[in-house]
Amino acid sequence: MTDISAIEVPRVEGLGIEFILPATIKLSGMITRNGSNQDLAGFFRTVHSDAISRGLREVFVDVSRVTFVNSSAIRLFIDWASWIKSDQSPPYILRFVTSRRFTWQQTAFTALTALMKDVLVVERVD
Amino acid sequence: MSAAPTTPNTPRPLVFMRFRPAWAYIDGIREFGRFFCETTFGTPALAQRACVVIQEALENAVKYSNNSPDSELELLIQSEGDQIEFSVSSLPDAAHIERLRTELAQQRTLDPEQAYVAAFLRASNEPSESARLGLARIRYEGGVELSLHEQEGGRVRVTATGKL
Repeated sequence: MTDISAIEVPRVEGLGIEFILPATIKLSGMITRNGSNQDLAGFFRTVHSDAISRGLREVFVDVSRVTFVNSSAIRLFIDWASWIKSDQSPPYILRFVTSRRFTWQQTAFTALTALMKDVLVVERVD
Repeated sequence: MSAAPTTPNTPRPLVFMRFRPAWAYIDGIREFGRFFCETTFGTPALAQRACVVIQEALENAVKYSNNSPDSELELLIQSEGDQIEFSVSSLPDAAHIERLRTELAQQRTLDPEQAYVAAFLRASNEPSESARLGLARIRYEGGVELSLHEQEGGRVRVTATGKL
């Protein structure tokens, strides 16, 4: 099992990242630098592995204060949902917290839900 | 910024920028586009659409530009009636031009929302390949249609046209 306190939160330019126990990630700002996405992908992968090892039923990802992302960042969320979906029995539900104020969130998470509705839930804060 | 080339049949661009294909410029140019559209047209929704079009079109152009001294990018924003047009001109490697033709032809077979979901499905099925979500995202989230104009010398211009 991962030592949860040892999960390293990456520094990503323009993006605030909070990791709140037991299983909430709060993001704020923008994700537009492709060079940073590797770090973010590694972080998501670690949280994913940790959620499985701790037997969590849900992981929350609050993107409601992320104002803009590029498509490589959207790819990170697709990949995360795909990791869960690739298990015969999805180990946990990925619960995204979104805002109607930002178009990218409406379009991306509607499309993601269309493909992965058995492994994710999309909530809105407004 | 410099004076834009115009012809008698095309409206004078509202914005014309010419710059080296560098990743470092994209954030600044996108945010200028957001400010410009919000200030000029007074619609925050258009400003968000402009950000998507500019970000994804410039990322593609920078990623695939060749190393020649003539590979500078051009961004034009122009408007006529109730239409707005964003276009990015670049000098990519030949293999990318072929990929661009194929991708745009595939895009035209689906409506923007279907194409966006199809791009998500492809990305999830091909985790080791690059995302290739950008053009579908421009169409759906940007609310525009895309066209490709191939010019002499291998230069291509991708144009996104939609309602204001």
